[in-house]
Amino acid sequence: MAKVTLTNVTKRFGDVVAVNNANLEIKDKEFLILVGPSGCGKTTTLRMVAGLEEITEGTIEIGDTVVNDVPPKDRDIAMVFQNYALYPHMDVYNNMAFGLKLRKFPKEEIDRRVNEAAEILGIKNLLDRKPKQLSGGQRQRVALGRAIVREPKVFLMDEPLSNLDAKLRVQMRTELSKLHDRLQTTMIYVTHDQVEAMTMGDRIVVMRDGLIQQVDSPLNLYNNPVNMFVAGFIGSPAMNFLDAKLVKEGETYYLEGNGDFKIAIPADKVATNPEIKSYVGKDVVFGIRPEDLEDAAVVEKPVTDDNSYMATVEVVEPMGSEIYLYLTANEHSMIARVDSHSTAKVGDNVKLYVNTSNLHVFDAETELAIL
Amino acid sequence: MPLTLKDIARMAGVAESTVSRAINNKPGVGEETRKKIMEIVRQYNYQPNQLARGLAIKETRMLALIVADLSPADYQIIKSIEAYANEQGYNCLICNTDNNLQKEEAYLQLLSSRRVDGAVIIGGDLANINIINTALNKNGLMVLVNCLAEELLIPTVLVDNAQGGYLAASHLLQQGLKKIAIVMGSSKEFLESEKLAGYLQALAEYGLEVEERYILETDGSREGGYEGFIRLLEQGDLPEAFFVTRDILAVGLIDAIKMGGYLIPEDFSIVGYGESIISSVINPPLTVVAEPLEELGRYAAKYIIEVINGRNPEEMIKVLEPVLKIGESSVSRTE
Ligand SMILES: Nc1ncnc2c1ncn2[C@@H]1O[C@H](COP(=O)(O)OP(=O)(O)OP(=O)(O)O)[C@@H](O)[C@H]1O
Ligand SMILES: [Mg+2]
Repeated sequence: MAKVTLTNVTKRFGDVVAVNNANLEIKDKEFLILVGPSGCGKTTTLRMVAGLEEITEGTIEIGDTVVNDVPPKDRDIAMVFQNYALYPHMDVYNNMAFGLKLRKFPKEEIDRRVNEAAEILGIKNLLDRKPKQLSGGQRQRVALGRAIVREPKVFLMDEPLSNLDAKLRVQMRTELSKLHDRLQTTMIYVTHDQVEAMTMGDRIVVMRDGLIQQVDSPLNLYNNPVNMFVAGFIGSPAMNFLDAKLVKEGETYYLEGNGDFKIAIPADKVATNPEIKSYVGKDVVFGIRPEDLEDAAVVEKPVTDDNSYMATVEVVEPMGSEIYLYLTANEHSMIARVDSHSTAKVGDNVKLYVNTSNLHVFDAETELAIL
Repeated sequence: MPLTLKDIARMAGVAESTVSRAINNKPGVGEETRKKIMEIVRQYNYQPNQLARGLAIKETRMLALIVADLSPADYQIIKSIEAYANEQGYNCLICNTDNNLQKEEAYLQLLSSRRVDGAVIIGGDLANINIINTALNKNGLMVLVNCLAEELLIPTVLVDNAQGGYLAASHLLQQGLKKIAIVMGSSKEFLESEKLAGYLQALAEYGLEVEERYILETDGSREGGYEGFIRLLEQGDLPEAFFVTRDILAVGLIDAIKMGGYLIPEDFSIVGYGESIISSVINPPLTVVAEPLEELGRYAAKYIIEVINGRNPEEMIKVLEPVLKIGESSVSRTE
C-alpha cells in the first residue's frame, strides 16, 4: 500500500509529447481512473509508474521513494491487462501460483496467498478446475488473482475489461470496485470508457493530448467541468454547446443566442461567480446537458421566456423511459433527453424548457468554464 | 494494448487478411474498405509503430531465437525451428543469453529496432519484464517456448510436464508395481514440482497412499541421484521402481543401484525424463518420458511466422504432451 506521486512528469517520444508536465498525487488506497480519448497518454502514464517507460522529465514516487531509477521488478506493482494467459493444462490454483513457484516462494506462503486471493475473489471452490471449465468472469478473476498473490503496493490496470462482452463488463466493474474495497490497495485504472470512469473510481483524471485537464470525483467532474473538453467528454449524450453572447438587462445577465434563445442566468449563480460580469458583450459558449432540456409541454415547472426557447424537432429517438429529441434553432443544434410523455414529432416547433440552475458558461476563446 | 488486426477486422466487418493488405498497402482491397479500415486505424491510433512495420520498414525475413540457457533439449528445438523457418523463407539468428539480463536486453533490441521480424524466446521459466515490455510497448512480435508469462498473453508453445510425470508413474503402476519412488530436484523448482504433481496424480488414481519417504528431493546432480538410493538403502525400505526426473540424476541413481549389486529391471524398474545424449548411454536402455522437441520447434516457427504475417495462431497457448518411449529399464520383473 502506498501513495504515488507524479511531479512535473513529461514523456516524449521523439517529437511526440505523450505526457506533458503531469502533476498528480494518488492517495494511499485510492482507486484512481485515468480517462481520455485514444492517444491522450493514459497508457504512457501508467507505464512510467510501472517503470516500463523511461521518464523524460520529472519524478515519480511510490510511497516516499523516488522510483525513476528503480527497475520495474523492484517497484512492488502488479499489472493487469486485457489479454492475459490462462494455461489450459494447469488448474486455477497453479494458474495463480506459478509466478510465485517460479520465484521459489515457500510452499506454505504460496498456499496462504493463493487461498486468500481465492477467498477475496470468491473462487475458492474453483481452485482445482481447469480454465476451460470456467466462465469468462471466473477467468478474469483468476487473472486478477495472479496479480493479487504478488501482494503489490499498487495495482496498475490498463483497460482490463475491454475484451469482455457488455454484460460481463458491467458485472466485472462492480467486482473490481468491491475488490478494491476488500484489498485496500492503491489502484490506477486506465480506460477510455467514460461509464467505467464514472462508476468505478474515487477520483478521475481526465487527460487530453498528454495534458491533465481535471482531477476530481465523478460527481464534481460531471457537475463542475473546468473546461469544454471535460464537459463534452463526460456524459452521454454529450453536453450541448451553443454559441451565445453575454448581455445584461437591468440586474439580469442573459445568454443571448442570435435571436434563437435568450436565457437568464440565475442571480445566485452570478453572485457566486462574479467574474462573469466582465464578459458582458463578449462571445461565450452556453453549455447545457441534454437532461437539463425538457419539452415545456410536459414539464411540471414554471416555464417563462427567461428559461425557454423554441426549436424544431429533426429526429425523435424513443429510449424507453425517455425520449431523445435532436433539435435545431437556426444554426444551433442540440439534443434533449425529454420525458417519455412528450408527444413531439419530427418537424414540430416545440418549446424547450431549460433547467437554468444546471447551465454552464464557457469562455469562447479559452474554452475554460466561467460558471 | 496494441489493437490487433483481428480487432480492426471485427470493427470494419472484414477479414483479417483484408486488414493486413490495407495496412500494408497491398492490392486487392476496395477503396471504400481501405478508407474504412484506415479510419479505424487512425481513430484508435494504436501504436503507429506496429503499423509502420508494414508501411515503412522492410521485412528482414530474419528470426531471433533467444535462448536463456542453451541445453541439449533447446538445441533440438532450435534445429526444428530453423528447419521449418528455412522452408518458409526465414533465416534464424541464435542468441544465447546465459540467463544474463543485459545480454537478453541487447538481443531484444534486435526486435524493437526491427532488425529481425520476430523472436522466439526459448526457456527461462518466466517471461521477465524486458520481454513483457518488448511485447507490449515496442510491439515486438514474439512466441514463447517453455516459458510462462504472468501479465500478458503472448503466443506460447509448452510441454505439459505434469502429464510427463503422470505418464511415467502410470507406466510403472500399470505393471502392477506399487512402491514407486520419485527421485527429483528441488520441488521448489517449477518444472520439478509439475513432474511431482503428475506422479502424485497417478498414485491417487490407483488409490495409493503417498509415502513421503519415497519422495526424494535432491540437489539434482549425479551425486544427488547416488545418495538418494543410499538413503533408501539405509532406511531399509526399498521401493520396487523409480521415476527419475532428470537424466543426470538417473546416472547417479543407476550407479548406486549397480554398486549395490542390484539388477535393472529385475530388482528395480526405472523411468527417466528427457531423451538426451546422457540418457542414451545408460545401460540398460532407459525408458524415458520424451518431450516432443521437434514438434515444439515446428509449432514455435509456425506461430511466429503467423504472427509476423498478422494472423493469430489458432491456439494462443499450445500445450504439447510428452510421450513415453519404452526401453529396457522398466520392463516388469514378473515378465
Ligand atoms: N513507443 C512509442 N513510440 C512513439 N510514440 C508512442 C509510443 N507509445 C505511445 N506513443 C504515442 O504517445 C501518445 C500517447 O500514447 P498512449 O498509448 O499513452 O495513449 P492512450 O491514452 O493509452 O491511448 P489509447 O486509449 O488508444 O490506449 C500517442 O500519440 C502515441 O502514438
Ligand atoms: Mg492505452
